[in-house]
Amino acid sequence: MVRIWTIARTELLRMLRDRSNIFFVFVFPLLLVVLIGAQFAGSVDARLGVVGPQDDATLDALLERLEAADGVAPVRMADEAALRDEVERGLMSGGILVPDGLDAALLGLDDVEVTFIGRPDATATSLRTLVAAELADETLAIDAVALLDALEPRSPAERDELLAVAALVGGQAPGITVAAQTLGSDELAEEFAGLGQFDLGASTQLFLFTFLTALTGGVALIQTREYGVARRMVATPTPVRVIVAGITGGRLLIALMQALYIVIATVLLFRVDWGDPLAATVVILSFCAVAAAAGLVLGAVFSNDSQASGAGVGLGIGLAALGGSMIPLELFPEGMRAVARLTPHAWANDAMAQIVRRDAGLVEVLPNVGVLVGMALALGVLGTWRLRAVLAR
Amino acid sequence: MGQVAQQVLRATGLRKAFGALQAVDEVSLTIAPGETYGLLGPNGAGKTTSISMIAGLLKPDAGTIEVDGRTMTPTATAAKAAVGLVPQDLAIYPDLSARENLRFFGRLYGLPKAELTRRLDEVLSVIGLTDRADDRAGEFSGGMKRRLNIGVGMLHGPKLLILDEPTVGVDPQSRNAILDSVEELATEGLAVLYTTHYMEEAERLCDRIAIVDQGRIVAEGTRRELIATIGEQDVVRLTVAGDAAAAAAACERLPAISSADAEDDVVVCLVDGAAAALPQLLAEVAASGASVSGVEVREPDLEDVFLHLTGKALRD
Ligand SMILES: Nc1ncnc2c1ncn2[C@@H]1O[C@H](COP(=O)(O)OP(=O)(O)OP(=O)(O)O)[C@@H](O)[C@H]1O
Ligand SMILES: [Mg+2]
Repeated sequence: MVRIWTIARTELLRMLRDRSNIFFVFVFPLLLVVLIGAQFAGSVDARLGVVGPQDDATLDALLERLEAADGVAPVRMADEAALRDEVERGLMSGGILVPDGLDAALLGLDDVEVTFIGRPDATATSLRTLVAAELADETLAIDAVALLDALEPRSPAERDELLAVAALVGGQAPGITVAAQTLGSDELAEEFAGLGQFDLGASTQLFLFTFLTALTGGVALIQTREYGVARRMVATPTPVRVIVAGITGGRLLIALMQALYIVIATVLLFRVDWGDPLAATVVILSFCAVAAAAGLVLGAVFSNDSQASGAGVGLGIGLAALGGSMIPLELFPEGMRAVARLTPHAWANDAMAQIVRRDAGLVEVLPNVGVLVGMALALGVLGTWRLRAVLAR
Repeated sequence: MGQVAQQVLRATGLRKAFGALQAVDEVSLTIAPGETYGLLGPNGAGKTTSISMIAGLLKPDAGTIEVDGRTMTPTATAAKAAVGLVPQDLAIYPDLSARENLRFFGRLYGLPKAELTRRLDEVLSVIGLTDRADDRAGEFSGGMKRRLNIGVGMLHGPKLLILDEPTVGVDPQSRNAILDSVEELATEGLAVLYTTHYMEEAERLCDRIAIVDQGRIVAEGTRRELIATIGEQDVVRLTVAGDAAAAAAACERLPAISSADAEDDVVVCLVDGAAAALPQLLAEVAASGASVSGVEVREPDLEDVFLHLTGKALRD
């Protein structure tokens, strides 16, 4: 045990000695959590889809007002179906359906109903409020102009007076009402509802980075072999299985330390909710085991460290993307989702989704944990077997 | 116990093949406590392969190895504890300091904490790295790295210290320091197995020397014994212009000449009574069509023994 710890600790120490590692292991993951959080919260303008007549002065004026408003970007869309689809898929934060004859209806002082379509989230709610407010202002302006036209003021002073009256009248004028339609039945909308800004990024990035670090750690293992140190370890009275356990333990230690760091940092800095502590811990532990074992395989199979680091980065990013660590799995088409099941990331991300978004406990995510442990064992056996063969040569 | 049990190393009939290549072929050797044994041979002779088997890194195809009375196999941890290995290629972590490297391997050798701390300082001073103990090994000069490499091998106080060409790439001063410390370890009772292709090192350090070529020990003994295999002969070196190989073949036909080998533009002959044979020798070379531009007559050394036994120079 002392020897396993000696070897494992030395691997960790060597990782920490490398300045570039410090950036990739500790700084970069948090940067990405922030980046993804920013994207998710839509701190860029919320996109508002608009379906309505092409030559309606009132609508055009409304669009101008919305363009000028903060935090919203109106986009004209062809039809209602397209609008609903984009809102459902989260590409639009919300949308409005404007009926024909808005101008005419207003001048005739008729009622017009504009429909707002949104998901049950905070962005949609604030967007709807904004749209309603801008519409009310626009109605007021239109009414005032209509009144002015009708009364034909004879002097500027009279015009101002009329305008003031119009403002009063306009406030009560029957205008445009906004009816809300929420795509509440949509799973995707429900899925992300109530999720904190950084919650999504934190766990997906944890998996991306611990896996990436573990794979590039395979390079350190190749260096250990290249330096002749691995062979020299074999010359000491240390059984090969202890050496392999120490090296594997070192990879695991690094993965766990990074994971722990990301959890603590995101809780402290971004108040990220990691859900049930036990369930989250077990999922993260089993994922780290897969990552460490994968690093072991990489380090044992390759014998050239630049090849291995290329393969490590490629696999680390590729598997993460495929496993939903870059784009949520829920946005994947059905076929891709099936392929994603081949990656440990998908199982881990799915488990964390259940834990964080659906308040699942350990029991609910046990199937995912089982798959992860299975993957860790399979890779661990393969890596250990290869490494033993390499060391015994 | 008898004579047999006193040997620190007993290797018998070691064989190892890599595919069709017989890298080690029936190598047997014994080393007693305090004895320094040299394996002298050219590149690819099988020195490192033999050592790897003795250190338990490689499983022999045939043969037995006993270190300090214990059978050595790749899984024999007790036997490995008695061996200190200094590999031919550096085997240290460049990103750890000298002290950290030593401590790491000291732990793997199972040294208790207190002893480890004591030995660390001792070894650092022996290898002359006390001042640089906490600098990273990667920043060391080639010679300093070599010294650290050696320090790791001697840290745990082995019974058998194996040094595989430890002085390659080391400046003369560091080399001297290394040779001094090896000599000192031997006087303390350590058995040392030393490989080299530097004849001077073998002559200075080794009580017994085995000359290895193509996986075989072609001769073994003390320096005197080895040189005596040539007999009371002189070495004549002729520098020639023209076909050196043809000149050597011509010389070899003379009765006074027991061997003649061509090495680039030099013909090296072993001669009974150089003074008497020289005129004839020069006439033969001239007759072969080559012209002699230099002549040197001297006592034979290990290099000549090697050339005589294998027809090859020790270094290429
Ligand atoms: N792992 C291996 N696989 C295949 N061939 C090998 C292996 N190790 C050594 N050999 C071959 O065995 C022969 C002996 O090699 P070895 O390293 O023992 O020589 P050496 O005497 O130590 O040479 P040097 O002085 O260059 O270190 C060489 O021909 C070498 O190519
Ligand atoms: Mg060698």
